[in-house]
Amino acid sequence: MPGKWDWLKDEIGFSNLLTGGRMIFKVVQGKLSADDLTKCALCSNMCRHACPVSIVEGRETTSPAGKARIALMIREERIELNLDNLEPLYTCLGCDLCTPYCPFEFSVADLIRPVKEEAVNMGVVFEEFREVFENLETSGDVYGNTDSGADGSGKVLYFRGCTVRNERPELAEKTLTLLEKLGYEAFTISETCCGLPAYNLGNTELFKKVAKRTAERLNAAGAELIVTSCPSCAYTFRVLYPKYGIKLKPQVLHITELLGEVIGGLKLKAAEAVTYHNPCKLAVHLGRRGLLKSLLENVEGLEIREPRRELFCCGHGGSAVSRLKPELAEEIAAERREQLRDGAARVVTACPSCELALNGDGLEVIDIVEFLLERMEE
Amino acid sequence: MTLTFDEVLKRPKRGNIDEALVELKRLLKDKVSTKPADLFSYSHDYWLITFHWLLKGEVPALPDAVIFPESEEDVVNAVRVAHEKGVPLYPYGGGSGVLGATVPEYGGIVVDLKRLRDLRLYEDDLMVEAGAGVNGYYIEEYLNRRGYTLGHFPQSLYPSTVGGWVATKAIGQFSTRYGGIEDMVLGLRAVIPPGKLIELKPHPRTATGPDLRKLFVGSEGIFGIMTRVWLKVRPYPEERFLLSFASESLEEALDSVRRILHRGARPAVVRIYDRVETKRHFYKFEELYGKIGTVIIVEGDSRLARAEKEIVEREFRGVPAGEEPVRHWLKTRFNVKEISEFAPIGVVIDTIEVAVNWSRAAELYENVIRAMKSVKGTLMASAHASHFYDQGVCFYFTFAGVPPKGRSAEEFYNAVWDAAMRATLDSGGTISHHHGIGRHRRRWLAEELGDAYEVLRKIKLAIDEKDVMNPGNMVM
Repeated sequence: MPGKWDWLKDEIGFSNLLTGGRMIFKVVQGKLSADDLTKCALCSNMCRHACPVSIVEGRETTSPAGKARIALMIREERIELNLDNLEPLYTCLGCDLCTPYCPFEFSVADLIRPVKEEAVNMGVVFEEFREVFENLETSGDVYGNTDSGADGSGKVLYFRGCTVRNERPELAEKTLTLLEKLGYEAFTISETCCGLPAYNLGNTELFKKVAKRTAERLNAAGAELIVTSCPSCAYTFRVLYPKYGIKLKPQVLHITELLGEVIGGLKLKAAEAVTYHNPCKLAVHLGRRGLLKSLLENVEGLEIREPRRELFCCGHGGSAVSRLKPELAEEIAAERREQLRDGAARVVTACPSCELALNGDGLEVIDIVEFLLERMEE
Repeated sequence: MTLTFDEVLKRPKRGNIDEALVELKRLLKDKVSTKPADLFSYSHDYWLITFHWLLKGEVPALPDAVIFPESEEDVVNAVRVAHEKGVPLYPYGGGSGVLGATVPEYGGIVVDLKRLRDLRLYEDDLMVEAGAGVNGYYIEEYLNRRGYTLGHFPQSLYPSTVGGWVATKAIGQFSTRYGGIEDMVLGLRAVIPPGKLIELKPHPRTATGPDLRKLFVGSEGIFGIMTRVWLKVRPYPEERFLLSFASESLEEALDSVRRILHRGARPAVVRIYDRVETKRHFYKFEELYGKIGTVIIVEGDSRLARAEKEIVEREFRGVPAGEEPVRHWLKTRFNVKEISEFAPIGVVIDTIEVAVNWSRAAELYENVIRAMKSVKGTLMASAHASHFYDQGVCFYFTFAGVPPKGRSAEEFYNAVWDAAMRATLDSGGTISHHHGIGRHRRRWLAEELGDAYEVLRKIKLAIDEKDVMNPGNMVM
């Protein structure tokens, strides 16, 4: 079978080798290539339609390729590294919904991250982020509240995460109840943040510091398994910690992943219709796109209505957008609510941030744990 | 035309931009941006040579401000202020135009319409109403969910907007059945100088004088700013057939399609690739390699589609190559990466689309390929035929090359384009089929239009006496 580039060799021929042919053959052989940020910057935004910011804000500067162009110009020192020019780069949700449509499978969030890191290193930081950095430094909690809970012990550690601890403590109680019903004697410890907010804002040094501290606490707890309600925490523990050489001894699962292993043995019934909202971190970053829906499919009598769009960020992921441009984050959440409304009035999700962002305005958004607990009780 | 950022910013302004900005900020408030990052982002569209400049730190132009209207009233205010102050105004959709039609050549204000994105389907009338800024993928997804399709799939489907399609007279890959955007536009609303919103209602047909809707289709923003369009929709196809063929010659494949169309069959997709492009796109299919490859999709009502498939199979003279090449094409048709791979290392690459009647189609193909290859530095030139009519065909040429020593990328680029345009005109073709004119192609327009060029210029100035609407684009 002919190779991918044989046509080019046939076409260019020997006579043209002396001009630009050699250059092209180097590209074909993989010996010459532009860096990824440049490639992204030269794209016509083939992923624009998948980017929630692009759809809602509609601004060229914050389109995926638009962000890459700004990052490239800053990197090449053609435009200044200042807050005004950094603002488009922080108008990225980090949802990576762009990646499936990229011919190179790039994550725009990853491509522009070095420029954010450079900015933080140089002290060019938005005021809105300083509080986050300070909170993480001092209390180890993104909200600035030190967790005063007692440290338990056992095989299964339930890691609540900053959002659950501060905004949805009742979800933590319900998750522990569900785990107990499933036969797991789960315990909690006094927690510190996984570090993702610092990472998302470009403060990689702080991320590593917080992550090391959290990893030490988690390793010291002696559990074999960590279960978390927050897909961002699960992603950080499973993907980012190894990437930065931070060792976490226990296995880490998002609660839906644990439920996926045991749900077949449960008797669950319902007589209602729901739709579902797939959190980006679970569906895209942990690669469990079909998991939430498959859990719901185990509930007898439940009518599952497809959301208008299977994947669309709630607008609050990634920390930066909701802190820097809360109106835009809310507009994106409103857009997502509109898409979900085409399915059913009740929405099941599996991320505390998504739940908080999307609840209201005629929609009842409920965490999968609460939903299944209801079904079990009935 | 290339300048560094600083040089562009120091250029003399046209009109009273300072007063215009004060007024616009009063009326549109935070929907006006003068941030450098925004100005830079709207300094170009997808005119490919501009990316070579960008990599060197040059931009073709910079606007003084960008505005983001959220209503027709905002657009009316923008046009009124621009007219009063003599400030240029450039409408902007998805920025995927490839000829510089939205480049803010004289400074002024870029109007990004992407926040006008409301949608409404009228099922009984088989019609959709869309704000100019609705994203291409979004409108198709919206219609599909309700059992309809627009049938409009340009390669820019994902980044482009509905208003951009109409303004540039775009066409989609399924055009042989569904037509270009001009066949879908039923009505539209536009704001023209001195700041008036006009509406051309979406009647099924009207004989109220010359068709003013057509004046705006392909106008590239030189008359006004479209804010809303009504487009025809079709029921989602019931059945789809995928066919492909290998032919020994381009003439044989072209003749086959001509016969199919003349019998009244309307396949949605027909694409005939020359030998180079067949090798390039279908290298995994041995039966096509080294031949002229054709992919065809027939779709629609089940019975009608079956009949059309039969006509295609009967009339196409070539060796059937099955469904797989078509599946491959469907899977890869939006996989655009050549510019990103080759432009950064100095390879100049671009596409040129022209149209010609059947009687001179093969001749035009040969002449344009020969002309492009004759330019020193050209490494490859190829083409496929991608849109078909009873009367003729569109050829879509691709060239790549490296400027020879002593010649800039722009000089090489222009030399290949000149050769291709000259060969097209000499072969009886039209210089553009669907990419339009923009700033790059305007120097060939007068020859193509002859005395009609002056008619176009007079219409432009009759509507826009101060020449504030996209000045310098298309007509000088």
